[in-house]
Amino acid sequence: MPVSKQDQPKQRAVIVSGVRTPFVKAFAEYLPLDTIALGGAAVSALLKRTELPRRELDSIVWGGVILPSAAPNVGREIALDLGLPPSVEAMTCTRACASGLQAITLAVAAIERGEADVVIAGGSDSTSNAELKIPQKLVRALGPMMMGPNKGKATPRDMLGVLSQLMPITEIMPRIPRIVERTTGELMGESAEKMAVRNEISRQAQDEFAARSHHRAAEAIASGRFRDEIAPVETPSGKWVHQDTIVRGDTSVEKLAKLRPVFSKTGSLTAGNSSSLTDGAAAVLLMSEAKAKALGYTPLARFASWSYVGCDPADQLLMGPALAMPQALARAGYELSDMELVDMHEAFAAQVLSVLSMLASTNFANARLGRDKAVGEIDPAILNVHGGSVALGHPFGATGARMVTTVANELHSTGKAFALLGVCAAGGLGAAAVLENAGL
Amino acid sequence: MNDILLQLGKNPQARRLVKTLGLPLPIPQALARAKGPMEERPLHDYEIAVGGYAGAGESALIEVLAKTLTQAGATPLVVGDAHIPPAFLAHGDAWGRPPRGLLLDALPDKLRLDAMVFDATQITDAAGLRSLYEFFHPLVRSLRKCGRVVLLARPPGLARSPEVAGAQAAIEGFCRSLGKELGKAGTTANVLFVEESAEPLVPGPLRFLLSKRSAFISGQPLHVSTRTLDDEGLAAFEPAFVRSLEGKVALVTGAARGIGRATAKLLADEGAHVVCLDRPADDELLSAIALEIGGTPLLADVSDPETPALIAKTLREDHGGVDIVVHNAGITRDKTLARMSPEHWDQVFSINLNAIARITDALIADDGPLLDDGRVIVLSSIAGVAGNLGQTNYAATKAGVIGYVRRLADELDGRGVTVNAIAPGFIETRLTAAIPVMIREVGRRLSSLGQGGLPRDIGDAITFLATPGSQGLTGNVLRVCGQSFVGS
Repeated sequence: MPVSKQDQPKQRAVIVSGVRTPFVKAFAEYLPLDTIALGGAAVSALLKRTELPRRELDSIVWGGVILPSAAPNVGREIALDLGLPPSVEAMTCTRACASGLQAITLAVAAIERGEADVVIAGGSDSTSNAELKIPQKLVRALGPMMMGPNKGKATPRDMLGVLSQLMPITEIMPRIPRIVERTTGELMGESAEKMAVRNEISRQAQDEFAARSHHRAAEAIASGRFRDEIAPVETPSGKWVHQDTIVRGDTSVEKLAKLRPVFSKTGSLTAGNSSSLTDGAAAVLLMSEAKAKALGYTPLARFASWSYVGCDPADQLLMGPALAMPQALARAGYELSDMELVDMHEAFAAQVLSVLSMLASTNFANARLGRDKAVGEIDPAILNVHGGSVALGHPFGATGARMVTTVANELHSTGKAFALLGVCAAGGLGAAAVLENAGL
Repeated sequence: MNDILLQLGKNPQARRLVKTLGLPLPIPQALARAKGPMEERPLHDYEIAVGGYAGAGESALIEVLAKTLTQAGATPLVVGDAHIPPAFLAHGDAWGRPPRGLLLDALPDKLRLDAMVFDATQITDAAGLRSLYEFFHPLVRSLRKCGRVVLLARPPGLARSPEVAGAQAAIEGFCRSLGKELGKAGTTANVLFVEESAEPLVPGPLRFLLSKRSAFISGQPLHVSTRTLDDEGLAAFEPAFVRSLEGKVALVTGAARGIGRATAKLLADEGAHVVCLDRPADDELLSAIALEIGGTPLLADVSDPETPALIAKTLREDHGGVDIVVHNAGITRDKTLARMSPEHWDQVFSINLNAIARITDALIADDGPLLDDGRVIVLSSIAGVAGNLGQTNYAATKAGVIGYVRRLADELDGRGVTVNAIAPGFIETRLTAAIPVMIREVGRRLSSLGQGGLPRDIGDAITFLATPGSQGLTGNVLRVCGQSFVGS
């Protein structure tokens, strides 16, 4: 249950720390590391940095999108790989790109219900290690003969029958996974392209947004702002990855303007203003306020509320945050103007800008939210202050934990009181949360 | 049943062959029909040219038109001199469908329109009617196959002067002719005559006429009035469009096959519990359809004197009342009058007219099961409008139905109940499959759309009339006939 001012839970969960691996373009340095290994790297770094006594840890709640079919409970595999006490139970959840945030709010809910005191929550994804899918057609044709009740008794005639079912051969070649919306068959980029048109988001505006994201991320890296949040990862070949590899600090609107659209010839989305396929992991340490005090940790932030919503994927696939963010604010009893920081997942610059225009629209508020007034404008100065997924990359399951970590640290270091998070996700889902500074 | 020309037309090579050889075969356009239950956005990604807003005063319909189109998923292309009414900007913003301006003297290349809507309510004289020409003339060629044209007008009978009445009535003639011109491409044209202050009731009919669910309806006027609502009800009117019949009970007579069967299925698709009624002899068919749609079979002969009481009792006691009544059961006993036996005359009257009146009486009586805000839909026929050789008995009953419905609408509008008739044209059913080949061909081709309709087309129209969105329609006779040339 979301926490509201009216209905305070018995104990509050607090964010104590967060760590992530460097985010790396898919099919590059992390190729030998699957999602379990990446998750393990993040969790072990978190344990090391926080010096958490292992016996204190109750559970791991993990988020992921491309789950290994042989071991889909990634959270539990991480705990076992790291040699954590067997009593550290674990689950793995999936809610597309909001999986990481989902894992964290599940952990918060468990703590606030009194089911656990110390939980590590986060997520990871390795697009590089997505299993190539054997087409259903092949399974259905060969499966009965090889594994059905009459296995081993196939006659040459049966074999021929199967062969004829498999033509043309191109249909049974394993396919590289793409981010395709199952119900509409559209690539996510194609949906975002439509949103850009429908919300009248220009190429120029998208490139400006993307350039800003890169510049801010590069600045954060240069200034050492991410030093506490990123733990270097050693690959099996002994090579160390120290830093995010997708950020381009030297990019500019002019350079981005030269890129060709990727999802439609006449479109405005390019590789430069979209987030790229990324490998990585992020983890957050959560505990009850009392436990944090007892163990001597400084609480960084608390969750005031959260909200998950759904909308029609065939309409505007990635508009979810425009519905979820106002709902999370309402549940926490705040207005957008109370927020001093806003962090939105940048699937595409066009998608963030579309959501911003919806939030700023009185007409949208009237028709879609039942509000008289617009939710409000978001000052670019407080939005994604250290860059977002366009620059940093987007390992699906990890992004939520990355955002929570950066925002919790930002609240703590600046003394600001409230922050709003927004995440869009495949399937027409939206997620949002309000964080409050735990030190105030 | 099998329409060879329609099948031929679906094959592009055959189509091309017929064209190059110059064969005098009127190959009809296969109609695009809806699949599945009603959608949130029936006009998803449609591009719709909107006219009538150049220079003229503010139309009371702008607001509802802008909202309906954008909410239903369409992008409005507003024709005019670069001035787009604020309502289109506001609703376009809310639903992510920003309007585009369309300059008639500088049309974009490759303009393809899914539909055209013209608000003619501001036209008051013959000179004003020129705006119809100015809007449709340059755009009509850009309309896609199976496109839609809807004109919005004010009822001439309620006009403040004869001149205004003449101008508004002219719109119907324009629409009917346009329907005949565009029918070859599967396109339909219809008019909504909207009474003053009935604007909130427009979205339902407008969505329906622009959607694929009205594929076989063309050249028809529909009157939208506030008769069935008081001021309070009108102010609060906000109908559901999706699964809008959940919790409602519907009675469909003659549900074992054909139109009744298609209707029962469609009503169930929208969430209604359907009580399927047919003759005891059709037990097997009736039980099958009732089982398929999770409804209840009710075996009764509508012409039996005991039946009205039985229906009323069943609906009241087993279902807690009835919201939707579809009088679909009907028979033909064709013979020219000179050769017709008295039994044939009597049978047709007993089932097609008497039974409807007696069953309705039982349903609307003080202790009857018909609930407030209900719907009564009666099947008439194009024969009832135009008459038909060998159908003196049948045509009389179907014309009788029209008179009956109009009067019953007056009786029930205080209870929020709407009463309408549907007049099917040539529909491909068991009834029409029995007609001799040549006559059947004539029946099919002598219409703007050049083909017979399917039971589903009638079912779609009935289902629309059953939904909350059709509250503004009562006392209407809706012809679902592909704009048959007979009786128009």
